[in-house]
Amino acid sequence: MSNRNRDKADVLQGTLILLVLRTLEALGPLHGYGLARRIEQISKDMLQLNQGTLYPALLRMEQEGWITAKWGASEKNRKARFYSITPSGRRRLAKETEDWRRMSSTIETFLGFDPASLAEEKG
Amino acid sequence: MSWPRVVAARLRGLFERNRLERELDDEVRFHLEMQIEDNVNAGMNSREARSAALRSFGGIDPMKETYRERRAFALVEATAQDMRYAVRTLLKSRGFAATSIAVLALAIGANTAMFSVLNAVLFRPLPYKSPEQLVMLWSQDPAKNVREGRTAYWNVEQWRSQSQSFADMAFFDGVSATLTTADRAEKISVLRTSPSLFPLLGVQPLHGRIFTAEEAEQRQRLALISHRFWQTHFEGSFDAIGASIHLEGAPSRIIGILPPDFPSDDDVWEPYTMYPDWEAVRRRRGAGFWAVMGRLRQNVTIEQAQAEMNAIARRLDEQLPLAQRNGGISIVPLSLHVIGPRPRLALWMLAGAVFLVLLIAATNVASLSLARSASREKEIATRAALGASQTRIVRQLLAESLTLAVVSGLLGLLVAEAAIRFILAVKPGNLARLNEVSLDPHVLGCALALCLFTGILVGLTPSITMARGNLRASVQEGGRGNSGGASARGVRRALVVTEFALAIVLLAGAGLLLRSLWSVENVDPGFRPERVLSVSLAPPASTALAPRTGFYKRVLEQVESLPGVESAGITSELFLSSGAAQVVTAEGDARSVSEPRPFRSDELSEGSFKAIGTPLLRGRYFSDADGSPDSPPVAIINEAMARQMWPGRDPVGKRFKLGAREASAPWFTVVGVVGDMRRQGLEKEPIPQMFEPLAQNPPRRAILLVRTSLADPLSIAGAVQAAVRRVEKYAPVYGVARLQNQLDAFLTERRFQTTLLIGFSVVALLMAAIGIYGLIQYSIATRTHEIGIRMAVGAQAGEIFRMIIGEGLTLSLCGLAIGLIGALWLGQAGSSLLYGVGASDPLTFIAVSLVLTTAALAACYFPARRAMKVEPVVALRQE
Repeated sequence: MSNRNRDKADVLQGTLILLVLRTLEALGPLHGYGLARRIEQISKDMLQLNQGTLYPALLRMEQEGWITAKWGASEKNRKARFYSITPSGRRRLAKETEDWRRMSSTIETFLGFDPASLAEEKG
Repeated sequence: MSWPRVVAARLRGLFERNRLERELDDEVRFHLEMQIEDNVNAGMNSREARSAALRSFGGIDPMKETYRERRAFALVEATAQDMRYAVRTLLKSRGFAATSIAVLALAIGANTAMFSVLNAVLFRPLPYKSPEQLVMLWSQDPAKNVREGRTAYWNVEQWRSQSQSFADMAFFDGVSATLTTADRAEKISVLRTSPSLFPLLGVQPLHGRIFTAEEAEQRQRLALISHRFWQTHFEGSFDAIGASIHLEGAPSRIIGILPPDFPSDDDVWEPYTMYPDWEAVRRRRGAGFWAVMGRLRQNVTIEQAQAEMNAIARRLDEQLPLAQRNGGISIVPLSLHVIGPRPRLALWMLAGAVFLVLLIAATNVASLSLARSASREKEIATRAALGASQTRIVRQLLAESLTLAVVSGLLGLLVAEAAIRFILAVKPGNLARLNEVSLDPHVLGCALALCLFTGILVGLTPSITMARGNLRASVQEGGRGNSGGASARGVRRALVVTEFALAIVLLAGAGLLLRSLWSVENVDPGFRPERVLSVSLAPPASTALAPRTGFYKRVLEQVESLPGVESAGITSELFLSSGAAQVVTAEGDARSVSEPRPFRSDELSEGSFKAIGTPLLRGRYFSDADGSPDSPPVAIINEAMARQMWPGRDPVGKRFKLGAREASAPWFTVVGVVGDMRRQGLEKEPIPQMFEPLAQNPPRRAILLVRTSLADPLSIAGAVQAAVRRVEKYAPVYGVARLQNQLDAFLTERRFQTTLLIGFSVVALLMAAIGIYGLIQYSIATRTHEIGIRMAVGAQAGEIFRMIIGEGLTLSLCGLAIGLIGALWLGQAGSSLLYGVGASDPLTFIAVSLVLTTAALAACYFPARRAMKVEPVVALRQE
């Protein structure tokens, strides 16, 4: 169980940045909780986000200059920290998206790989 | 991340940790509360909602820990990453790195060394108790050119008793005294002082005690000795206290030893009453020989003290006959007295010059790295495309330049260490406190500051240019070599103009100093120092006059009979440190009173003028008959005195006396006039002087001047010393030197300053030339294509050549124009360092402009020649 969780977390770590940047790009400034909820909603609850891991990731992205954070008032007029994407973040997002697409199409190729075709080529 | 940012972030981390923690708490709480609310809305009861929220959030404390680590780690990581990256990039371009580091190391080293001198000489407080309260008090009379005049005992007493501004005053006079020991006699420096000097300076004796005011008043022969003297004469034995030393032929009892860190060249301190003619000294008014030091009371400013002393000076002068008046009293902070305004100015000038060199060096390296960054633009654009933020890129570039600067700074410390050793070995001029120069924490701090400053200066221009530059465009430009962009080239041009402007300031300064040096070197000292040996000597301690005259006479006979000696003379003093003022009255002078003026009186033997080669202009030299007790007093005067006392008339045969007309002083008859000698230094106008025959007033110490026929007069020194010893076994003989060397010593400081400044400006010139060479080279490289097209459509090689040279010339002339304005201003500011040349001397300014323009043309010539040879086809094919 815990092993499986760690595997899942690892995958999340790698893609979390992509998810956050994409969400912020699409929906504009959001606070941490909002981000977590949206990511879960967009993924139709397929991705169960370990919400606590979101904040260190947000900090790192802030340090890299991909996102900025500002204190503001939430929908219910409470003090919350809002994150928004920066131009540098958009560039990063483009790059991550491209990487992800390339990766997933490669994996797709692998998964749809037919041993016969390889043998043909060899022959 | 760059150093300052790391430091700032660390500090912020320290101070803001609480705030950041609170913010994290707030954020987590907000998250959980929102989740709980949503859970409740979804139909859970509050307890379920709470535990579900906590579950979905995961461990709060581990998360906070990760968060904190991340927060702290980011700085370290980013810094380490930047540094690693910087080192890697620099290693990749070794040529650039090595050049930059060498240039910057030299500049930082030179600046650090210069700062260590400023620090030791100007900044470090004097090693006394509250040194800022200590001042010197001088009598002054600007009208008579008396500035730091010493004063008479009577004045000191009045100043002391009438003033309120001072906690205490001390007065002292340095003399050279003969110390006789069992087997020899030597000259030592003795300071005759009021006992108040020691508490005034806050100095306690290491052992023993200080003499009291009563003991001084009773003229008890007591002595304090320096730590050095204690070591050399008593091997540090405690028997020294209570022991006797024979000073000027009489025993003095040692009662104390001063600490080793007491900064003084004196050997012995004794009561101020130790003059053989103390009663006369005590009664004297007007000018005298006391230097006066005071300690201002707490909260009294120099201006307040000066105002009070002005009033006292006026009151005192009203009580005195005109001849004894002092004029004003000037108060000078002790630190300003120790290092006078001129050496101060010279030091600041050199410090400024070496700082300009650093600026030029940094500019040059900035320009180099800008050129380099042009070729890196694609790399950087790629990094930006990959999501590196602008600050991150700037940070990285700054990290590079800071790495460069820090490595240069470390090497620079070695350079500074070597430079300090060199300065200590050369000891240019007689700058006080120079021996205190060292690499102390202040100097290291300054070196660090210089490093950071240089690093930022070098890194900022390329960073800004690049961060601002159109990054996307350079990616799209693909392989085209036309990177750099207009803005980078513009910045590089501005940098080159700056370099030229700075270089011309330095060159002009060096030029003016060089002309001053030439002027001083060409000053006729009024005597011929070549092949003359100078020896200080004193007759054995004795108060009787006749034996002294006999001693000098026999020494001269002995010395003149030595082989290789052409002529010899004895004079009471040759070089003068400070002038005294004196009332001199000419017989039959219509003016009712004369006032004290700078004046100097000396005694010398008949052959002295011949020995040092001072021409006799009128009248005669002394004869054997002059100076005998039954003949009338005679004197030879110098031209300056003749001009002042008897303008336009022949002074020979005229009579004058020292003091006012009614004074009972004897009349001197002028028998001859000699040429002026520059005895106070080559740059000082000769003051009126008179010379008496030795026998008329035999001095207690004298200078023996021996003109030889030998190439090196020092080779006869042993024989001369032996000759003196043959006359008197215990006569102290010291200060053996070539007269030429002593005269040259006047020039040491100026030579040193001039050489340094010339060195600095040559370096500046070279760097500026390299800078413009690099720019032109680069500009041609990026325009090969354009040049090819121009030539293809029919441009002549000469036109291309002119175009390139024109570009270089325009830049250098721009720099020249800006720099000349700065140089003119600087010349005015430093005009007191000049001699015999105007601060805006056109010849100098034209000459340095020509030098600079020539250097610029030479630097442009070679790239331009190459540009001429561009083959259009090749250039076009380069695409």
